[in-house]
Amino acid sequence: MRALGIVLAGGNSRKMGALSHKRAISAMPIAGSYRSIDFVLSNMSNSHIQKVAVITQYNSRSLHEHLSSSKWWDFGRKQGGLYTFTPTVTPDNSNWYQGTADSIYQNLLFLKRSHEPYVVIATGDCVYKMDYNKVLEYHIAKKADITVVVKEMPEDADVDRYGVVRMNDDGRIEEFEEKPMVARSKTVSCGIYVIRRRQLIELIEKSAEEGRHDLVQDILIRYKDVKRIYGYRIESYWRNIATVEDYYGTNMDFLRKEIRDYFFKQYPDVYSKVDDLPPAKYNPGAQVRNSLISSGCIVNGTVENSILFKEVFVGNNCTIKNSIILNDVYLGDNTHIENCIVESRDTIRANSHHVGETGIKVVVEKNERYVL
Amino acid sequence: MGIYIFNWKTLKEALIAKADQPALDFGKHVIPYCHEKGCPMYSYEFNGYWKDVGTLSSYWEANMELIDIVPEFNLYEEYWKIYTKSEVLPPQYIAQDSVVERSIIGEGSEIYGQVYNSVIGCGVIIGEGTVVRNSIIMNQTKIGDKCTIEKAIIDEYSQVGSGTQLGAFPEKENDTRPDIYNSGLVTVGEKSTVPANVKIGKNSVVFGETVASDYPNGVLDSGRTLIKVGD
Repeated sequence: MRALGIVLAGGNSRKMGALSHKRAISAMPIAGSYRSIDFVLSNMSNSHIQKVAVITQYNSRSLHEHLSSSKWWDFGRKQGGLYTFTPTVTPDNSNWYQGTADSIYQNLLFLKRSHEPYVVIATGDCVYKMDYNKVLEYHIAKKADITVVVKEMPEDADVDRYGVVRMNDDGRIEEFEEKPMVARSKTVSCGIYVIRRRQLIELIEKSAEEGRHDLVQDILIRYKDVKRIYGYRIESYWRNIATVEDYYGTNMDFLRKEIRDYFFKQYPDVYSKVDDLPPAKYNPGAQVRNSLISSGCIVNGTVENSILFKEVFVGNNCTIKNSIILNDVYLGDNTHIENCIVESRDTIRANSHHVGETGIKVVVEKNERYVL
Repeated sequence: MGIYIFNWKTLKEALIAKADQPALDFGKHVIPYCHEKGCPMYSYEFNGYWKDVGTLSSYWEANMELIDIVPEFNLYEEYWKIYTKSEVLPPQYIAQDSVVERSIIGEGSEIYGQVYNSVIGCGVIIGEGTVVRNSIIMNQTKIGDKCTIEKAIIDEYSQVGSGTQLGAFPEKENDTRPDIYNSGLVTVGEKSTVPANVKIGKNSVVFGETVASDYPNGVLDSGRTLIKVGD
């Protein structure tokens, strides 16, 4: 593909609550054995983008661990490859990334030294499959300066946490509001942009000179009347995971056969880092219904309408309902978990009781784990 | 146990001396040769878990031991991990009306039926109403609906049609290779097809793409061999 990729994975979200305390949103585990960033990286790989930069900042340790090798997404090659850019102190800059535009500005040499005519910019916190070549074709056909991928949300959806756009009949974006108080349309920006590389360099340099740091506010919104900014509608599944409810909902979507088949059985594949884990084990007393169970789990109790991530241990007489148990959680005997997300590497003592009464409860118990 | 450590000089000398021996074998030729020559030879007694899985029944037993609550050979040890070639696979899906007990199941499998005391590989589909007991089902094999599978070893990429029963009828000795196909097991070779609504007996073997006409009256009796590929 004639584009390079930039994945914006540095952000934090207060709406993720305790779940973002120890990891970047892009490193959130999804559907049992994936991380959020796998979807965008797989899309880039499957779109034949050969050079991808992942910009990290907030809580990046677990993300870097996941990006340990470029081979998981087939970027391991002599030309191009996978780059990670974390803020560094240089003689003329000792600031962290002050915004999405600034994070690109601080790594502008990467863009200047590249030769690909286009850039695909995407965030690492969305679950979808997309061939970016289709967006690029549209971008060229519309003679656009910037193309923004947009999604029509259902009528009853709450869109006030998104960038909301209104397009004319040709697809040109006429209005663009970031997190509006009252949204005037249900068309939201997916945080996926296609732009000519030289155009991007020019806009980013200009913004930096003026002390502006945000890609959406200071480039997309500020330039929407002078630049040709077009919207490309994504018709297939797309979901942002950056709130507790959306994170929970996105995971639960994978209990539906059509969603699993779409992501895991239909071409193209979604790639991830692979571990060497034993199969899941069901001991006498295990009762599992309508659930996704990952490798390395040992189940002794009841699991219903839930997702167990890797290496979860469910003790005797436990009941897990409508819940998400993240990686490497130990659930002691007689534990009852309902409508919860249990944070990874947690140890839940025997006889614990956690129920999300009004919404999804995030369970973070920092108990010591004794080696059995 | 078939595990040897040699001094390279000794091994090289023995291999050169025995170069003309047809079907040169460590146990049959090399070790006796070294012994006759008077090389100092010692044995090391190993007291951990060790199992030769070179016959169907020992292979089946070794797999069945893995599903014990605390198996002697524990795959879940943090130290001494077992590495394998692994692919990116989604987690397994256990459906609403399914039962899974005392089994281990690989990634990407979908269980709609009932699985007891079995070892199920990756990407396996077990259809609705099917009951699998005491069996080994390897990667990417698809089992239809309402099947009964008892004490079977089904190799990779095979398909079993709906309503089929494996492990039916009283036990009889296998008609071609009783030395291999015994212990009451049903063996289905890789990339095989078993049609719907047939009954297959014990100590039997099915290999290749079989169709309904290969099963007179929908039956393959115990001890029968049905091989439609290779030799």
